[in-house]
Amino acid sequence: MPAVVWASGVAGPVGRGALLVGVVAAAFGAVAAITAARESSRGEEARTSRLVPRFVGLAFFASLGAIIAMEWAMITRDFSLQYVQDHGSRSTPALYNFTAVWSALEGSILLWIFALALSAAVVAWRYRRRLDDELISWAIAVICIVMVFFFVLSFGPANPFAEGAPGITDGPGPNPLLQNHILVLFHPPILYLGYVGFTVPFAFAIAALVTGRVGEGWLIETRRWTLFAWGFLTVGIILGGWWSYEVLGWSGVWAWDPVENASLLPWLTGTAYIHSVLVQERRGMLRVWNLSLLLATFSLTILGTFLTRSGVLNSVHAFSESDIGTYLLVFFGLVVLVSLVLIGWRGDQLRSPGSIDSPVSREGAFLANNVLFSAFAFVVLLGTVFPLIIEALQDRQISVAEPFFNRLSMPIGIAMLALMCIAPVLPWRKASTELLRDRLFWPAWCGIAALVAGLVAGADGLAPLLAFTLGGFSGGAALRQVVLATRRQGWRGFVGRANGGMIVHLGVILIAVALSASNAYTRSQELRLSEGVPASFAGHTFELVGFREEKDDRSSAVKALVSVDGGQAYAPAITKFLNMGMNIGTPSVKTTWRYDIYLTLEPPVKKDSGEARIKVFVKPLIMWLWVGGGLMALGTVLAAFPGRRRRPTDPTSAPVPVEEEVAP
Amino acid sequence: MSGAKGKLTWAAMALLTVALLAFGAMRSSGPSTQEERIDAISQRLACPTCNGESIYVSRASAAESIRNEIARQVAAGQRANDEIVAYIESRFPGSLLLPPAEGVDSLVWVLPVVVLVCGFGGLVVVFRRWQREGEARAEPNDADIVAAALREHDDPTDGL
Repeated sequence: MPAVVWASGVAGPVGRGALLVGVVAAAFGAVAAITAARESSRGEEARTSRLVPRFVGLAFFASLGAIIAMEWAMITRDFSLQYVQDHGSRSTPALYNFTAVWSALEGSILLWIFALALSAAVVAWRYRRRLDDELISWAIAVICIVMVFFFVLSFGPANPFAEGAPGITDGPGPNPLLQNHILVLFHPPILYLGYVGFTVPFAFAIAALVTGRVGEGWLIETRRWTLFAWGFLTVGIILGGWWSYEVLGWSGVWAWDPVENASLLPWLTGTAYIHSVLVQERRGMLRVWNLSLLLATFSLTILGTFLTRSGVLNSVHAFSESDIGTYLLVFFGLVVLVSLVLIGWRGDQLRSPGSIDSPVSREGAFLANNVLFSAFAFVVLLGTVFPLIIEALQDRQISVAEPFFNRLSMPIGIAMLALMCIAPVLPWRKASTELLRDRLFWPAWCGIAALVAGLVAGADGLAPLLAFTLGGFSGGAALRQVVLATRRQGWRGFVGRANGGMIVHLGVILIAVALSASNAYTRSQELRLSEGVPASFAGHTFELVGFREEKDDRSSAVKALVSVDGGQAYAPAITKFLNMGMNIGTPSVKTTWRYDIYLTLEPPVKKDSGEARIKVFVKPLIMWLWVGGGLMALGTVLAAFPGRRRRPTDPTSAPVPVEEEVAP
Repeated sequence: MSGAKGKLTWAAMALLTVALLAFGAMRSSGPSTQEERIDAISQRLACPTCNGESIYVSRASAAESIRNEIARQVAAGQRANDEIVAYIESRFPGSLLLPPAEGVDSLVWVLPVVVLVCGFGGLVVVFRRWQREGEARAEPNDADIVAAALREHDDPTDGL
């Protein structure tokens, strides 16, 4: 087939060419945008600004070309490329062959670049009529500079289009864990949209500092960007948990693995930001703090990538590593340095007048929220890098893992839930205790009802019961706001930031309650099942009804068919991947709204004996994790719709008392 | 706002919550299965070959063999959970997932507390200062300026 022969050599040169075009286009885009900004700051006509969208567009098409070239190489099994030799195989099914492009470091960076160039293009298009605005020019320049960095990374040390050894005609395919669940199609791209999305508010923050327009203008420009970046990050993280649950076979969603922590860190600072930014919009305060949170969010995505992709920390996600560490570390250092210098330089303009009247106010609650989220981010960062510090200082290896994070995140999580009980009903400025007693009355009863429900269901232990109580209370508080808003405004009571935010809160609360319940009350037992002999555990019966074998040319799977409670048979499996020599267990889950029954088949499997070792986990409320995730996504979308606008002349704080004129 | 939602009702609700929580915290859900003891123990130990994953999470063969050892010890019924953890730690040094609170390692426990205390302490200080700065005062003519500006801003079509 001459056509295929021709096509199979083409991806490498095309991809390398595209990356080179990308480097150049992004660099020229940055130069043009900075020139345009300087022109308009001198009051001249910003003629260069017309060039900016062209370079950004070129960079976008270059990134698109690069990722298509990689897909093409993977789909046509172009084994001239090292990346395809390492992560492709002739027998990988089409879907997992498609996702194999981002199954390792070099390809993931291609995906990252594509998401970044897409955001750059959207920004350039969205502001096409305001390109002569200095703020916009600088923002685009910053995005272009970030883009140059990633294009260089991909063109140099993490080149996915490097030539491999000649004569190789097949490869092992992607890691077997990355080829047995559809979520590998969604989790990485969505997560990357979240990571990359924070580049845009970061760029506007830097632009605001450079131009000195540190007022609230840039915040309002980037409000929806931040919200969507946060939403994608949230959904990406939850899908990651779902993947872990459905694939890894230990029945958990979160293991405090360094890569998971790396995604949680920007989420925590980003969440702090989307709360405290409201104080700035409303009162013009906390400017330095908000800038710092945003700069921290962006730098933490870079630091997280460094920690997990450079090989300094090992993790189950480290599907491949390379020497890009130095690049990422230098870039991280530059980002932090530039941010600090700019904040220091603009220091006097960032000082804002005004004060917060009372800690018992919405502003006060947002500040408390920020302390909790920042402390949580600190704990996660400390736990992640602590082994590195100890190793550097004392040349000794220690592990800081799940038990540490669980122990510390529990009190912080409880404190966050407690704050979520009170904060939604607090008015701006100050609240009296009478007001709180009145507004919190029914939410508090919801908390007591949740506690009673938990006790009736047989729950014990202080921490989970406290979580249920606070979950009910905070859920009541969020529902109260939604009910009042819809009563006042009809369907508009569901949209806008405050109302959408309450839906997000409800999702968070569901997840918190479901996590507490499933962490505290999971029952597990290993059952030795003989065919036709039912065994019972935790009020359920399990019967082995047989085995099924499935073979194809890359793997052979053996499934144990286990009938649960005399009903449908579930089929936990062990798959042997022939060319990797790996055995991968795949769980099978029965989901109901109250509990999940999670079955894994334990090796070794001797099916001729008619026996199987089945590990059974009965886990309460797992389904509500995914429902909560859905609610968070829904709430984010609702929050992005414009809500009811405050009249611009309405006072943002209570009237200032007027001095009595002194009688003469 | 006394009466139904007054202080007394709230005090009663708080008392009820505390009583229910205490009842729930005291009661025990009964003995756990052997497997649950194995899970609890294996969650505290690191898999020696897989960097930071616990034996509970890991599917590696080294983790499998340690899990089997834990299972043997649990089945023998001679040792408590802590003793089994100590035994495994003595055979595989460095497999404790929880850093001990001694020496430099204790920093990992101390620093978060320090940060939280400093954070909330900082908030208290800031609020104190804001309170001292006190309420802003307006001159009588400030109110007139605001009123004039609002009149100017008032859109006659606003009420339509």
